[in-house]
Amino acid sequence: MSLVLEQVGITLEGDALIAPFSLSIAPGEIVTLMGPSGSGKSSLLSGLAGLLAPPLAWQGRVLLNGEDLGLVAPARRRLGRLFQDDLLFPHLSVGENLLFGMARGGRALRLARMREALAETGLAGFENRPPHTLSGGQRQRVALMRSLLAQPLAMLLDEPFNKLDAALRSQIRSSTFDLLQARGTPSLLVTHDLADVPPGGRVLKIENGKVKDA
Amino acid sequence: MANSSGGPWARLLLVDAAPACGPNGGVISTRSIAGALPLLLLFVAPLVASLAFMGEDALSGPAWVALLAHPQLAGGLALSFFTATVSSLLALVLALLIAAAHHERGALPRGLSAMLAVPHLAFALGLGFLIMPSGLVARVIAVLFTGWASPPEWRSSHDPYGLALIVALVAKETVFLVFTLAGALARADLRSSFAAQGAAAAALGHGGFSIWLRLFLPQLYLHLRWPVVVVFVYAATVVDMSLVIGPTQPPTFAVVVWSDINSPHVADAARGGAGAVFLALLCGTALAAFWAGLRALAPALKRFATRGPSARAFPRWIGLAKWAALRLLFLVVIVTLVLLSLAALWPFPQLWPDQLDTTAWGAVARQPGPLLTSLGLALGTSVLGLIALVLWLELTPRQADRLVVALSVAMLGLPALLVGLGQYRLFLRLGLTGTGLGLFLAHLMPVTAYMAIMLIGPYRAVDPRWHEVSASLGAGERRFLARVKWPLLRAPLASAAAVGFAVSFAQFISAQLVAAGRFSTLPMEAVTLASGVNRPLTAAFGLLLMAPPLLVFLLAGLAARPRWSGA
Repeated sequence: MSLVLEQVGITLEGDALIAPFSLSIAPGEIVTLMGPSGSGKSSLLSGLAGLLAPPLAWQGRVLLNGEDLGLVAPARRRLGRLFQDDLLFPHLSVGENLLFGMARGGRALRLARMREALAETGLAGFENRPPHTLSGGQRQRVALMRSLLAQPLAMLLDEPFNKLDAALRSQIRSSTFDLLQARGTPSLLVTHDLADVPPGGRVLKIENGKVKDA
Repeated sequence: MANSSGGPWARLLLVDAAPACGPNGGVISTRSIAGALPLLLLFVAPLVASLAFMGEDALSGPAWVALLAHPQLAGGLALSFFTATVSSLLALVLALLIAAAHHERGALPRGLSAMLAVPHLAFALGLGFLIMPSGLVARVIAVLFTGWASPPEWRSSHDPYGLALIVALVAKETVFLVFTLAGALARADLRSSFAAQGAAAAALGHGGFSIWLRLFLPQLYLHLRWPVVVVFVYAATVVDMSLVIGPTQPPTFAVVVWSDINSPHVADAARGGAGAVFLALLCGTALAAFWAGLRALAPALKRFATRGPSARAFPRWIGLAKWAALRLLFLVVIVTLVLLSLAALWPFPQLWPDQLDTTAWGAVARQPGPLLTSLGLALGTSVLGLIALVLWLELTPRQADRLVVALSVAMLGLPALLVGLGQYRLFLRLGLTGTGLGLFLAHLMPVTAYMAIMLIGPYRAVDPRWHEVSASLGAGERRFLARVKWPLLRAPLASAAAVGFAVSFAQFISAQLVAAGRFSTLPMEAVTLASGVNRPLTAAFGLLLMAPPLLVFLLAGLAARPRWSGA
């Protein structure tokens, strides 16, 4: 699995917000893109997902395992996403949130996979709980698991550790990276915090609309 | 109509399979047009055309001369503006006391949506029966205090000063304003901001009363401006309530205009048209004068706000007691209607009828036409209006919302008499008067206006990241709407549908004009019956007017309930 960006960029009413750049992310690799807020990091992830909203416009090609995503509907791109907020659906239970993105199939099998995932997250028995009764760290873990159960071919991480307190943060950060690397999922992480960079990982920077190696 | 709504629906359902086109791609604009079409055809176009026909009579010189010579002009206007001003101010003060008391207690006013669902007309009918010389109030006084053997010679309903009309307006409009205030105060941003401000002000020595007067009230002013305008214009121009409970010699000016409009004589009808324009202009002038007065008072209000702390606590009990009294009044009005609809023989001053029977209800059952027409119109318009609005909101860029909001505000802020007249003139030219389609459109327009005002804000405020996260989990457009977006929006969707239903059920002016005698709806029947002598049948129709909106509000309340408390 690999994620390749070819001359991708974002324009705002004709002006370049992010100048075209290219990037190749290998299976299991987590590339970090750093930049101040307002630099277009989150918009870049929305563009990769095919959901850039006007007046922003997208340019360039995105290849996932060699397939050009340009003509693929957002829901069929299989790009997992994690946000600053966990965005667990408040009207669905924890278990239903996990089932939401899981591929169709036998009900018993899907339920078993959901429970297994909860146990793996240290949240066994939480399936019927409403999301708002979980702590911030628990919710972010459920959000990660929900994303992974949809079997994404690549992950886009939008400062997902930002709202966690310091102790929890490093713990969830390392468990997230471990899971992604173990599954060989190519991932792009955007952040403004150096501490979020995985050990030995490649780091890019956005400066004045240009993406460069840090 | 089937064609215009079939296309976009099909498109909405096909979105899942459509190729991902860039937001600037050509497909989007076709979809936008298709999404906008139902609302444009069913709401925007007919409303714009109606508004254009509204002022036709303003151009007729003889109509104005006749209007200014009308013997009931001065008396009618004095009554209209007296009842409107007094009732609006009273309702505003009461609503503030009630909403503040409940906010302080951290609870919503009980029974609010049920009371909101009771149509003005039905309430006026019941109140009229309650306070008439042989009504329950006089009977209680007779039994407990005076021993009257026959009904007193009161002019309690249809009194010359419009006091009964004022009471009816205050009761209904207080509920509406409490609903508006409670909605604003329940918003998460306002709630937390008020809590923080309240704590800061308390630390500076302000008691609850001072915090409300000096801190919260000026901020709530923004939320209250338009609702108060709507309340005032409604009170100054209401026809059906005035006919049922208002003064008669002279009547309020709206009723004077209404009789003119319905006159078979062309000259009188033209005078009525000019009268409707005149009434709207006077409403505008009165509101402008009120606004200028507030501006003139602004420095004094600022001085008052910064005069320094007062430790006086908020008189919570006043608001709570007022709300309890208002709830009791609604209950007694409903009980009066129920008793009267079943009373075959009820000699004065007995508190309970001698004989109960179902003659009136039998008569209702034998002529179900008006009920079925009203039900069909209310169901059809609220469902179609909701579909047209949701299509608009899903497929049309938000910049275009301004058009719909402006038209909706115009529809609700302008006197119904004037908009209804414009609509009637338009429909006459299009050959739509006296047709089912005309009647349907006349109901659909106000229904859609109310639903647009209620729905556009919450619908557009849905966090776009819900869509992004759903797409990242493989959910296409249809699944996102059905499983995420609409469930998240079920409270505003359900309330909008319920309000739409109730608004349709209460339409009188435009319905009566456009129906041209070929159709009869419940409000038309009820107004006609109210001027007759068959009280049990009138009371039964009053209850019929009330029951379906109450039921729909109850269902909407159930549908809007969150799955978990505290979520």
